[in-house]
Order: sequence, then structure tokens, then C-alpha cells
Amino acid sequence: MLDKRLVFVSGKGGVGKSAVSAGLALLAQRNGLRVLAIEVEASGGLAAHFGTGPFQFTPREVRPGLHVMRMVRSEALLEYLSLQLRIPGMGRFGAIARAFDALATAAPAVREIVTIGKTLWEVREDRWDLVVVDAPPTGQIGSYLRAPKSITELVTTGRIRSQSDWMAATLADSDATQVLLVTLPEELPTTETLQSLRWFEQSKVTAPPKIITNRVLERLSEGRPPAGPVADMAELHEKLWTEQQTWIEKLPPDLTIPLLFGVFTPGEIAAHISDDLEALK
Amino acid sequence: MTRTILVTGAGGVGKTTVSAAIAVYAARRGIRTLVVTVDPARRLASALGLEDLGEDPQPHSDEPNLWAAMLDSAASWRAVAVRHADPDVAERLADNEFFRAASEHFPASQSYAAADQAATFVQAKAWDLVVVDTPPSGGGIDFFTAPAQMADLVGGRLLRWITGGPLPGRRFFYNRAAKPVLRIGDTILGSDLLERVSEFLLDLRTTYDGVSRRGREINQVLGEARILVVTTADPAPVDEAVGFYRRLPELASTPAAVVFNRCLPNEWAAVVPGPDLSAEHALLAEQWSAETVRQADARGEFSTRYGATVVTLPWRPRPPTDLESLASLVEEGQGMAEVLDL
Repeated sequence: MLDKRLVFVSGKGGVGKSAVSAGLALLAQRNGLRVLAIEVEASGGLAAHFGTGPFQFTPREVRPGLHVMRMVRSEALLEYLSLQLRIPGMGRFGAIARAFDALATAAPAVREIVTIGKTLWEVREDRWDLVVVDAPPTGQIGSYLRAPKSITELVTTGRIRSQSDWMAATLADSDATQVLLVTLPEELPTTETLQSLRWFEQSKVTAPPKIITNRVLERLSEGRPPAGPVADMAELHEKLWTEQQTWIEKLPPDLTIPLLFGVFTPGEIAAHISDDLEALK
Repeated sequence: MTRTILVTGAGGVGKTTVSAAIAVYAARRGIRTLVVTVDPARRLASALGLEDLGEDPQPHSDEPNLWAAMLDSAASWRAVAVRHADPDVAERLADNEFFRAASEHFPASQSYAAADQAATFVQAKAWDLVVVDTPPSGGGIDFFTAPAQMADLVGGRLLRWITGGPLPGRRFFYNRAAKPVLRIGDTILGSDLLERVSEFLLDLRTTYDGVSRRGREINQVLGEARILVVTTADPAPVDEAVGFYRRLPELASTPAAVVFNRCLPNEWAAVVPGPDLSAEHALLAEQWSAETVRQADARGEFSTRYGATVVTLPWRPRPPTDLESLASLVEEGQGMAEVLDL
């Protein structure tokens, strides 16, 4: 994954998408890469993992060589208007941003093109070796990644139209772009992940995603402990392991991350995941 | 009178399972109960007799007092159009490409449809209890803010944003050259997109009176409901539950309880691996004991810091998917029966 230019991390809500994004960014940084991590969701998932306050649109360096930014649609739009289109008169920007928001609510792909466009500009600028995106969840990842293609279908003229072609090409380039889908070995996340995999297969917007199965239990190898609470623990552990296998069997065997027991800060979780990814490399 | 229980919380914490468990538990006490679910797992759907997914409540074949219905969030905006617009406008809206995009981009619309449907079931007065599993969009808060957001949306906010001024008539858009916002929109997006979007928004605006009237009714139903916030002890869902717990009083009412799902037995917290255990079993004991301590800490913090009533449900190795194990989830939970007060 570290030889790509752009990695999107997606998954159903609650599966540990932000932790994996942070872990991957840390891993790349430890390997000496210049890394930009982008938080797309407003939930602030990455901030907790890097032990910082909320991130802003302007990237902040959290470790030597590792910057983090939060994708803010209105600021991405402003930057696009002034840098790419050289449109003056930003005094009226508030009105323009609101008008654009209105459009973005009603027109397909207009909302997504601004944020994914900013991401792809960052990749193109060559300031970073790797851009890691804590991307929208699997329910929305399709319309997000397909935005450049959708724009091509929706608008026949205009500046965005001419840019969406290279954007779509970067996404489809398997040497440049990789999608990771994080999942849990449970029914709903597995079902959603398999659905999402089929969408990627059919749409061909990017190369096929890799699957990361999170919170996987290790199988117990010894017999039952003597009766008492430890035996109860072993019984729960074994039953959970069996249930997890039902779903693991249905998922492509790409990568697994073990369940972390006990008290961890989000930063510790990210560091653990980073170690796990390193071991899998 | 029909009582209503709203089950809220982050995605993935077992909200749908908890809703089903409450409904089965109530039905078995002779209470005529309808459970309204959103997107249940297949095994759970079949336990509720919902293989033929449908919005109409279906009586359960093995449980005389239990009905179940599933909300179809995809149909949400179509329903708004059909109910609140003139027939020809409704047809034009439903076929419109922007209509479909708006229903995808405006997550509150799914919550609005769910709240609307749930309120309809409560108002039907056909059941003693309606248990509503809420969609997770917007962290669950959307369910309560959706009626107002929806009225605001169709009421012309977007139109005013596009024009930068008062609500326009249809002729406004033919004089686009005079409006700098529209000119810039043209440069970026091409000449006719704004016009097509605005035509759509003008159509949508005709539903305003109906949507805002219905919104007030929905809010009244939601305001009288008993609210449960479901979470696990994991940090991310707990954060969402805290945010939710603190905002709900102004939006609807103070939640009756915070339900911690997948709890380990309290006595595991004190387990210390003895010298007789093998290395693997000692590690096992250490790990599950640490997990139990972490869970207890998360619950303790919630109740001391926010004064919430905390209820626990046991961790099942397999999610319960038959009536017996659903009912026993509530029976074996600590404090659940008291909070439900059926």
C-alpha cells in the first residue's frame, strides 16, 4: 500500500475506519514518506487518534513528515474558485458558497466533486508521497468516488467538466490509487462489504479494493480451563471465534487486525494498528 | 393510548436487536406491540417474520401480540411528493434526476420518512406499544430534527441561496446574466444546470404547506415518546451516545435510559489468573478481565457525569435471532424491565 499515491479507507460506521486510516498514515510516516492524511467526515475521527484538537482545512504537521487536514467543502470551493479559476471578487463569496451548497444538495456529484477534487489536486501537486483519506462510509463511498464520472455525464460544458477526465483517470489507475474497506467479522458489516465489493467490480471506478477485517479473535489452542470464571471466559471466546469464522469465510483473505482488549486511548489503538499493518506488509 | 419507545444510538451497536428484543418481551406480556425496524440483518428479519420486506405491519405467525414493519427509506421523497404536491407536479418531481439526487444527499429526508411513517403507526391507535428503531444518519439526531430541516429545505431556502435574494418567480432565471452568482455557476458547471435545478426547486416548493403541517404532528408524537439511547462500551459509540444524550432534552425529551449492549459479567473484573493456569489461559483471563473493567468504567462515567440511568444487556456470542433469545436479552439485562415499565 505504501507504493501507492492515494489510499481511501472506507467501511460501515463503527468498524474502525478512522483508526485504520491513522494507523496507515503513521506506518507510512515511520517509513520516511511525506504523508497527508485527510479527514472527510465531520466526526473528527482522526483528531482523537493523533491526540490533537480538531483539524482545520489547512494541513497541520502532527509528526515529522505527517500532515493532517480536515476536508471542508466551503473552503475547498473557495480555494478552487480562486486558485484554479482565478475568479476575483471573493467579497461575495458567502453568497456564492451558499448558492453552491444549494446546487450541491440537489444536483448529483456536485457536492462530492469539490472534496474529491481537492484530494486529487493534492495528489497531483507532488507535495506528498502518499495521501491517506479517511473516506465516507461504504454507504456513500460509491457516489463519492464516482463523482468525476457523474459530472462528465451531467454537464456538457464548463470548467469542471474538462477537469473530471483526469480525475477519473487517476482514480482508475491501479498504480496510483488503492481503496481499503475495513470490516468486522459480523453479519451486517460483512454483508455491506460484499455489496460494496460488487459495486467496485461493476463500476470499475478504481481497482478492486482490499479488505481489512478488524477485531479478529485468535483461536484458543488449549483445552478448557478449570470450572469458574476463566472457563466462562474461554467459552465466550470460543463461541465468538466460531461466530467470527462464519463471516471471515465469506470475506477475501486480505488482511486481519486482532481485537484489542482492555483500556486503550485512540492514539494507542492507531499505534497498534500501525504495527499490525507493518507486520502484514 | 399507544405508548411509543424510540430506540436511538450509533450504527453497529445492536439498536435493531434491542428494538426487537423489547418488542418480543412486551408482546409476551400480552401487550399488543408493533416493532418498526430499519434495515435489519437477514437473520433478525426472519426471526421477526419479515422475509417479505414490507412497510405494512405484519402479524407474527408464532407470537400473537407481535407485529413488525420495515421502513423503506429509498421511497421517502416519492412519498412526500405524492402526499403533498398536486398530482401532475408529483409525477414531474418523482421522475426528476435532481429529486433522486436530493434524496441521497439530504440524509434528513430518510429520517423524515421514517419519522413520518412511525408517527402514522402511533396515530393509528391500533397497538398498545410501538417500538421504533431509528435510522443512524446524522448520528441519530436527524430523526428528531428532520421535520424542521425538511420544511426548511422545501420552503425555498435553497432557492434563496441560489438567487441571493427573495424567492424568485420562474422568469427570474431567464435574466441570469445580471446575477454574478449565476454567472459564476455557469462558468464552473455549464450553462443549463442551474436553471434545471431551480425549476426542480420551484416544483418542490409547492409541497411546503403540507410538509410543515405534517412536521408539527410528527414532532408532537416524538415529544411524547420514551427514548432509549443504545451504545456499546467502545469509545466511538460512547462519544456519540454522550452527544445524543445531551442534545435530546431540547429536541424531544430526556432519554429514559442509556442501554449498554454487549456487557460482560461484572465479576470478571476481579478475576486474577492463578499460578495453576497455563500461559494461554492466564492471558485469556487477563484480557477479558481488562475488557470488563473498561466496560464498567465507561458505564460509571456515563452515570456519574451525566446523571443517566444506565441499563445493561448481556454479551451474546451470537446475536439473538429467535423469539426466545430476544426476550431473554431483556429479562437477563439489569434494569431494563424497570426502565420499560410495561
